[in-house]
Amino acid sequence: MSAAVSSIREPLITGHKTYHDITEDLIGPTEKAPNFSWVVAFLLSVTLLSFGIFCLIWTFWVGIGSWNLNRTIGWGYDITNFVWWIGIGHAGTLISAILLLFRQKWRTGVNRAAEAMTIFAVMCAGLFPATHTGRPWLDFFMFPYPNTRGPLWVNFNSPLLWDLFAISTYFTVSLLFWYTGLVPDLASVRDRAKGVRRKIYSFVSMGWTGSAKHWQRHEYLSLILAGLATPLVLSVHTIVSFDFATSVIPGWHTTIFPPYFVAGAVFSGFAMVQTLMVITRKILNLNDYITLAHIESMNKVILLTGTIVGTAYLTELFIAWYSQYTYEQYAFFNRATGPYFWSYIGMMGCNLIIPQIFWWKKMRRNIWVTFLMSIFVNIGMWFERFVIIPTTLARDYLPSSWSYYWPSWVEIGIFIGTIGLFFVLYLIFCRVAPVVAAAEIKAILKTAGDQYVGENAKKQTHSHSH
Amino acid sequence: MGNNKNNNVWIGGEHLVNDPSVLESANKEFVELPIVEQMSDDRSMEVTSNRRDFLKYLGFSVGAATVAASCDIPIKKALPYVTKPDTIVPGVANYYASSFVNGGDYCAVLVKTREGRPIKIEGNTLSSITKGGTSARAQASVLSLYDTSRFQQPQKRGDDGWEAVNWADLDKAVMGGIGSNARIVMNTNMSPTAHKAVMDFVAKYPGAKTVTYDPVSSSAILQANEASFGQKTIPNYKFNKAEVIVSFGADFLGTWISPVEYAKDYASGRKIKGVKGAKMSRHIQVEGSMTLTGSNADNRVLVKPSEMGAAIATLYNEIAKATQGSTVAAPTLNAKATSSMSSVAKELLAHPNKSLVVSGSNNFGEQTLVNAINSMLGSYGNTISFANASNQRQGIDAEVQGLISEMESGGVSSLIVWGANPAYDLPNSDKFIAAAEKVALKVSLSGTPDETTALCDYVAPSNHFLESWGDVEAKKGHYSLVQPTISNLFDTRQAESSILTWAGNTQDYHDYLKANWEATAFSMQNDFISFQAFWDSVLHDGVYENAESDYPVSFAGNVNNAASKISKPTTGLEINFFETVNLGGGQYSGNPWLQEMPDPITRCVWGNYLAIPIVFDGDRHWDSKGQFAGLNGNEIKGFADKINVTIDGKVETVTCIRAFGLMNDVVSLAVGYGRTIGNQTGLNIGTNVYPWLSIDANGNTQYYANVSETSGKVGEDELACVQYHHTMGVTGEAEGYDEKVNVDELAISTIARGYQGLLVDRTVIRQGTLNEIDELADKIKHEREHAEHLNSQTLYPYDEFKETIYDQGHHWGLAVDMSACIGCGACQVACVAENNVPVVGKYEVFRHHEMTWLRIDRYFYGDYENPSVVYQPMMCQHCDNAPCENVCPVSATNHSSEGLNQMAYNRCIGTRYCANNCPYKVRRFNWLDYTTADLFPINEPEINGEDLPFGADNLTRMVLNPDVTVRARGVMEKCSFCVQRIQEGKLAAKAEGRRLRDGDVKSACQTACPTGAITFGDTNDKNSAVSKAMGHELAYFNLDEVNTKPSVKYQAKVLNSDEALS
Repeated sequence: MSAAVSSIREPLITGHKTYHDITEDLIGPTEKAPNFSWVVAFLLSVTLLSFGIFCLIWTFWVGIGSWNLNRTIGWGYDITNFVWWIGIGHAGTLISAILLLFRQKWRTGVNRAAEAMTIFAVMCAGLFPATHTGRPWLDFFMFPYPNTRGPLWVNFNSPLLWDLFAISTYFTVSLLFWYTGLVPDLASVRDRAKGVRRKIYSFVSMGWTGSAKHWQRHEYLSLILAGLATPLVLSVHTIVSFDFATSVIPGWHTTIFPPYFVAGAVFSGFAMVQTLMVITRKILNLNDYITLAHIESMNKVILLTGTIVGTAYLTELFIAWYSQYTYEQYAFFNRATGPYFWSYIGMMGCNLIIPQIFWWKKMRRNIWVTFLMSIFVNIGMWFERFVIIPTTLARDYLPSSWSYYWPSWVEIGIFIGTIGLFFVLYLIFCRVAPVVAAAEIKAILKTAGDQYVGENAKKQTHSHSH
Repeated sequence: MGNNKNNNVWIGGEHLVNDPSVLESANKEFVELPIVEQMSDDRSMEVTSNRRDFLKYLGFSVGAATVAASCDIPIKKALPYVTKPDTIVPGVANYYASSFVNGGDYCAVLVKTREGRPIKIEGNTLSSITKGGTSARAQASVLSLYDTSRFQQPQKRGDDGWEAVNWADLDKAVMGGIGSNARIVMNTNMSPTAHKAVMDFVAKYPGAKTVTYDPVSSSAILQANEASFGQKTIPNYKFNKAEVIVSFGADFLGTWISPVEYAKDYASGRKIKGVKGAKMSRHIQVEGSMTLTGSNADNRVLVKPSEMGAAIATLYNEIAKATQGSTVAAPTLNAKATSSMSSVAKELLAHPNKSLVVSGSNNFGEQTLVNAINSMLGSYGNTISFANASNQRQGIDAEVQGLISEMESGGVSSLIVWGANPAYDLPNSDKFIAAAEKVALKVSLSGTPDETTALCDYVAPSNHFLESWGDVEAKKGHYSLVQPTISNLFDTRQAESSILTWAGNTQDYHDYLKANWEATAFSMQNDFISFQAFWDSVLHDGVYENAESDYPVSFAGNVNNAASKISKPTTGLEINFFETVNLGGGQYSGNPWLQEMPDPITRCVWGNYLAIPIVFDGDRHWDSKGQFAGLNGNEIKGFADKINVTIDGKVETVTCIRAFGLMNDVVSLAVGYGRTIGNQTGLNIGTNVYPWLSIDANGNTQYYANVSETSGKVGEDELACVQYHHTMGVTGEAEGYDEKVNVDELAISTIARGYQGLLVDRTVIRQGTLNEIDELADKIKHEREHAEHLNSQTLYPYDEFKETIYDQGHHWGLAVDMSACIGCGACQVACVAENNVPVVGKYEVFRHHEMTWLRIDRYFYGDYENPSVVYQPMMCQHCDNAPCENVCPVSATNHSSEGLNQMAYNRCIGTRYCANNCPYKVRRFNWLDYTTADLFPINEPEINGEDLPFGADNLTRMVLNPDVTVRARGVMEKCSFCVQRIQEGKLAAKAEGRRLRDGDVKSACQTACPTGAITFGDTNDKNSAVSKAMGHELAYFNLDEVNTKPSVKYQAKVLNSDEALS
């Protein structure tokens, strides 16, 4: 099997690693005291999170009036950030599920971190719909639970309700998938740990012994969850896009939204993975596991999805013109040229134009370009959501009600808080679990046999060279 | 092994041997325990806790109760009647006929009281003056009753401000100090009995005199009529009888003399009954800045304020030439207006005896020439009459100027200020204030503190009109009564009583009033034999009318003398001062409902904004014109620029707003703002412009001035304007086009040139002219068919649903006639009063957090330099296919079987999705705790620095309508079609065992409207007024093709424009 791998393909793991090296490299960081840069990053993240919590409490106390939304623009930063985070939360599942089904073995280098990122991003995303309501203490009205009010039931026609189900399902499946993958690695940590750590890890690794039966069940469960998660990758953002697509507001009422949102989500998700991976591999010295080949692969996905998204933007413009429907035409004309033109330029520039540099291999393999690009894409995708939500609402049917929106410090604070939350969770995750799936890496170590340097290597040296 | 059939399995030895006990229990696999018996058996019903447990429970309970009780739980007082009054049934409203009167403002009203509290004003349909119409001021007057700034007892000036005194001490001190030269200064007072009381006062103090003036004066009309006809009065204008109406700056639909009456009459000549043979009066407005009336005109002729005299004289000459009269020397008028005047003259001459010319000018010469014009046109006896002449303006400006001189010379022993505020609203109030030093005794009868009470030694606070007795003779022979609808809230005494008391008459004013009526009105009539029956009848009806027969008058004025006195055109920037429909001369500035009512033209609230002209640069930008270039570029982001304006050496900082409809070199600014003493919510809002007013040779106050200097931007203000985009496309010349195009469509974008059709193709506003009314009707018909075709392309069985649900029972609908809507805003304030709509203040409106359920959208269209205006009252459209309903995750907004889109406030969690998805943007979210209905009482926003937030004050809250839920923070709300009124109507019909009749249920906006532009009713009743209105050929649905299936239908705006003038 290992002989089937062409030597043209780059090795997935570099640095002549043995199984033991892998364990040391990947499990090791959970055992050492955090380094200085981690501490600084953690303190910064906690500070941001604290400010976000303060802003949330402020919102609950004062009311949504502490935000700058108005009678025309009912959603602004809240739902923009919600959709942005949900989009970011797409890469993990895509990498875990779809790439697993497609047997893309390079995914093993990044899937763990990507899945963790997904879960944290969905947590950040979920915060917004939960707290953007005028009376968040009554959010439980959204759940179809038996009640004494008639019973008063929820409105199954409402896309917001579909959102609730879609996101909670997605979160549950992603969490299970992630945890399933973590179990063997947690067991590895347990095996090396002592004292209280050992007790904790032995609890969370659920008695994993690494027996063949365990591995078999693990593989099956992974495949089943991958099968479940695959449609979710498509459904979650499709349903999020229904919030807009099923409305009557010109610029929202668009059938192109589901595929366009999914492509955009994958696009932004990969960009966020890139952002994190480039930093993580540097700080945790994982250059051998997250190689330039990984980065290049992901850049290819970014180029593809960015171009899909860009095509969707252009299609929207064409359809608006072609519809000959004043409101639709104006909605898109206004996006591009109205008072929020800068957000449209930001969106087009960051999402469609700038990623085109990835047609050049040199760019795809440049760490700095990749990092910068991933930031551009994150910004561009944020602008896309901003363009779709407040910009569209600002000028709809009746010119008398046109308005303008700019976030208040509270709204910005909550957004910053979610960034804090995301990094706090990610940094803790880096400290307590292997950021690269050690067990899965070990499984692919031999697929590039020529790179294998372990004890058994001597017996097979150059056996398949040509 | 016994008979255990399943002998491979056994449970214990007993089973194996089939012990009978096992068999028994096997038959009772699911044991039914005899609960009570068992409990009684096993002593479980007995008390098992011992003394220590008892003490523990006791200790816990007491502790818990103490903790719970120590929380501050608000105490709500609800006291039952000890003896229930006969007329009051809790939950049922009582209506009392009364009259809203404040200076010259008059409205015959019905006061709705609930459990003894007046909560709403309705029009009195029995009055031939207002005919059931109301104004925004009348609607809002009920809130002034609960004004927190009201004096709560008589006051005496002490060393450290006001000291409370009792009435006896006050009377003694005042009567002791009146002296020989008392002056009573008042605004127009239309009460005959009050005048009698004043006569009694004068009889007791022979040197006493009254001085009457009005903050926004019609003094010149009185003088001119005295000179022309020997009648020092405002005549009876009949706008319904005029086919051509020419107004020289008179805002007769908004503020001029008797706007409710005129609006009703005017609209009756403007409504399109049917497209075939449609007829309308023609209205030409001559003005420099757009007034509410000008915005409704068919044609506007632009002249500068200083050219008004020239315009009148030019028209006079044109008509005089045509009727072989003698011409006068007319100053030069701008060329365009000169040619317009000859067209106007032709128009007038073509309608002899059916034309009417009015002028808002306060210049004796101009008013005399207007009288001459009307005389030549045969208006007297037809469209103008001195029978039933108006009493609504009585002030002579020269009198109050005379008073100041008298005061300065020390010739005034005492000054009694009754309902006037001369320390604020005189052009030279500084002089008045200085002169007041020389008056020994100054007494104010004002119920609330103002700039004048601040000068006074005593305040004898008067009642609010809803606590008072009184009478009004708004027009000669048209009497109406004022009756109290609540006993005095505070230790106040109505002003008439104070005057009577000081006159030495201790009679109760109620008795005095009745006695006067018995002696006057009763003796003039023949319908009643006993006075009591007559009195009861008038009190019930609220009005008593005695039509006078018309008599001829002939013009005896000197036109050449008049022509020499008219205003002389000047060059340079001029400013026009005008009265707003909401704040008047400033009397209403303490009323937050009126402060928050948007100005009909600028759509701004909480302030007076300097209207500066707007100009199109020919490419794609709007800019401010002339010396204001570059100002207010950020209006669409909610910011306005402040500049300094210097007039006659006096500098003030004002906030600008770019406005359409202004002439070159003309700006305008409202009077009545910048109050410094009064209700905290109204203080220091806007700029006080009274010091900028001047006085002409005849002693009349002039409401325009030359601006000597304007600065550049000196600061930025939060623009509390509810409408950022103002037009439905206005035309002008643009680069790259041979003919006029819609320039606002070019300017609609920030970084590119827009293209044609972006605004005007919207199916929001439909308008046309009378000449092309057939085309308009065809267009509407065609669009309706097209929309119906589009809307029928659906998967959903709407028709079936409609047949089985909406076509059964009632289906509520509302029709708005945009030709009749004049934009006065009475409906909006009525809606606020009826539905407990919160007031949010300037900062919140700046943030577009206004809560109004009903708004009046104002769009300009036509030539941008002189545009036409259409007003579109916009409320929830109660769509039968409502976009808001299906998106609510919790079904808080849903549809009733009667077609109402209803809100369940308790269920609403506030996602705001419904508001986003509403194409009409009529949903309003409670962003903050505007009503104190929230969980946390700490976060109520204040409006304007008041100690206790406006909405939190218990006195203010007495105005709340108990039939309408007060909404909490975080909840969506919107127009309910006055569902409480529907329910009330249905219950009344049910109690009477009959079907609901058309007209049983009227929405608050409908009853408030002075022109009858709004019709509400059951659209399933094919004979109802609303069904007929909706069936009109010019009626259309707003955004029909979006398939929302609205229940509100608009009737297209039609103008009868004269092409020669456009």
